[in-house]
Amino acid sequence: MNKLNHDQLLSLEHPFVKIPVEKFRSSLRTSQKHIEKEIGNLTDKISEISKKSVQGSMEPSQVEAALEAIVNRLSTLKRKLKDIRADEVLYSQRTKVRLQHLQDFATIQTLDSDEYARWSRVRLNRIVIDYMLRDGFRGPAALLAKSEHIEDFVDIELFAQSAKVEEALERQSCAECLQWCKENNSNLKKIKSTLEFSLREQEFIELARERRSQEAIAYAKKHLTPWQETHMKEISHVMGLLAFPPETKCHPYKRLYDKSRWNDLIAQFRSNNFALQFFTPEPLLNVTLQAGLSSLKTPMCYQPEHRNANCPVCDPETLGALAMDLPLSHHFNSSIVCRISGQIMNEDNLPMALPNGYVYSYNALTEMASLNDGKVTCPRTGAVFNLTDVKKVFIS
Amino acid sequence: MEQYIKDFDKVLKKQRALETNDPLDRLIAIVNKAKEDIRADPSAANTSLAVLGKSFKSVSNTISEEQKELQSSVTKYSKALDKKFTADAMAAINPHAFDNKEQILRKTIALHYIRQGNFEVGDMFAKAKMFDIVAALKNNDLGPALEWATRHRNELEKRSSTLEYKLHRQRYLQLVESQQTNEAIAYAKQIGYFGTRHKREVQRLMGCLMFIGRIHKSPYADLFAPNASDDIQHMFTRDYCSLIGLSQESPLYVSLTVGTQAMPTMIKMATIMKAKRTEWSQQSELPVEINLTDDTKFHSIFACPVSKEQATEENPPMMMTCGHVICKESLQKLCRGINSHRFKCPYCPQESMASQAKNVYF
Repeated sequence: MNKLNHDQLLSLEHPFVKIPVEKFRSSLRTSQKHIEKEIGNLTDKISEISKKSVQGSMEPSQVEAALEAIVNRLSTLKRKLKDIRADEVLYSQRTKVRLQHLQDFATIQTLDSDEYARWSRVRLNRIVIDYMLRDGFRGPAALLAKSEHIEDFVDIELFAQSAKVEEALERQSCAECLQWCKENNSNLKKIKSTLEFSLREQEFIELARERRSQEAIAYAKKHLTPWQETHMKEISHVMGLLAFPPETKCHPYKRLYDKSRWNDLIAQFRSNNFALQFFTPEPLLNVTLQAGLSSLKTPMCYQPEHRNANCPVCDPETLGALAMDLPLSHHFNSSIVCRISGQIMNEDNLPMALPNGYVYSYNALTEMASLNDGKVTCPRTGAVFNLTDVKKVFIS
Repeated sequence: MEQYIKDFDKVLKKQRALETNDPLDRLIAIVNKAKEDIRADPSAANTSLAVLGKSFKSVSNTISEEQKELQSSVTKYSKALDKKFTADAMAAINPHAFDNKEQILRKTIALHYIRQGNFEVGDMFAKAKMFDIVAALKNNDLGPALEWATRHRNELEKRSSTLEYKLHRQRYLQLVESQQTNEAIAYAKQIGYFGTRHKREVQRLMGCLMFIGRIHKSPYADLFAPNASDDIQHMFTRDYCSLIGLSQESPLYVSLTVGTQAMPTMIKMATIMKAKRTEWSQQSELPVEINLTDDTKFHSIFACPVSKEQATEENPPMMMTCGHVICKESLQKLCRGINSHRFKCPYCPQESMASQAKNVYF
């Protein structure tokens, strides 16, 4: 029961290592691109110099100067690469630290060890920080990461750029997001994203809203026609806006003019951004919490007379409210908890029935009796009995 | 896991090689050399340029290859990760269960950090004694916590808490670490009180005295784990909350820890149910049993050993005269609906009648 299933729990940690490895990889790709482009140019340049020198159209002193220029360009490239290399080192080191953290986990033996509790606390902080970042609370997330010394376990800086794009969309500006699409074009194609089209649609809608029909048509020619093969239906819908004023009640134009489309764009951008960076589409906090709350939830949690202060679901203000729509746990096996001591009743601490049918643990009843001349009081009914009248209960 | 670390170390090695031996320096060197050759002998400019052209090409090819090799090893590694970490956590999510409950979730998180004494992260709610003690613990000052634990020794022992012992132990270890030999010996008396309960460890603690000054290289180095003070802090807040009637563990912590353990089963279940076109989150009850550790069982669950059904108000647990408990419906089946019919208990040889069975309350 208290044994850890390492493989199962480790299999949940995909984003934890995948995110830095992919950032490492994409930094490498960037430096590769810079190198190939510049070195290709310089190779051409050298053969050009060589040709001119052979033809005699370039003096040796001019050759010298031209070579000096090449050295300068190489030095510039070197400086440029230095910044990217710093990123590479950051992410490769981060990967290493995270792998080590998972390796530490693999050596933990039982669920009731201090090491496991410590690892769980770190995991909690990790997924809370992930939640905060998605929720737009970058300040508290950074503070928490710092105070818990887990900066290497979270990806705070990756949210800085996406925050800028989201802020722009909130201001109802597509420019920043379109720029982001351009930068990530090939990856967005891989996940079959339609974000760019949605943004183009929106810019068109805004022109139509202001009744700038000429400009809208010109815009559609330039930016919507490239999508005609896949999105003809949507294009004809938005084109229809030219005939309908923003106040229209007519479907689907009313919905297209609706400002809430901007929120949809933010949501679409978020999910694309998460997919590209290998973040899970929904916060891990939510799914873990749902699993946990459902496992803990019993019908008793919502009955005030059965409330247990230690049970998370029993708090109607917080987690009980969150668990409201989740399934109840399911049990084929009994587990009986003593209402006096909170301890589990089993062979070591037998359940005992008072004459009124209420069951408590042996340890709790004998302790109570030793302080009260052999008498026990049922805390739920107030009835008093002699300890000699209690009866062993057998739970198979 | 170890294999994955080894493989990544190989990648790191390649990366470091590329860094220490920057290939661009090689390129700069050969261009500079050509330049100097031409300055020294302008008449041979064409030959020098031809040599430069060739070597520039070959060096840039190696650069490109080295870079590509590193890149492809990272790509390969990234793909390998997908094989190791296979669980798709999102399979088990109900995206709407928390709709319009963002505030509740945020409040739960805030409360969690408040009880840990991390006020900046949560909100400043109430500044109780507990937080002063936690603040002192954070500064490695065990005094206030010890004072509190000693005053509550009886209550703590009733909960079989080892807090007081752990605090004394930590204080003693602090003295050993800072090489205050006489003070440490004097302090050992405090630990003597716990001698019977923690015999073996107390022996080890005294053993430390032999290694004062080089304790971190001694067989007792493990006692000085850097996380020990975090553990004590955590233990203190847990016991403090328990004594004043708050939940012992942070509810968020309990829920997430249980959730983490439950996730693999939930994912499996959700995947199976999705294939059958049903959603686990839409059920009123989970179709599988999630095992909980004893410390996360908060309510009595009685599942009838005969029918395997959970007891309800309509189908309550009944104790037969022999002390065995089954549910009312099972009892009715055993006596074939006749309350005065004698039948044998399914778990022992004793016979009884349904009318003698008694409702029990857990």
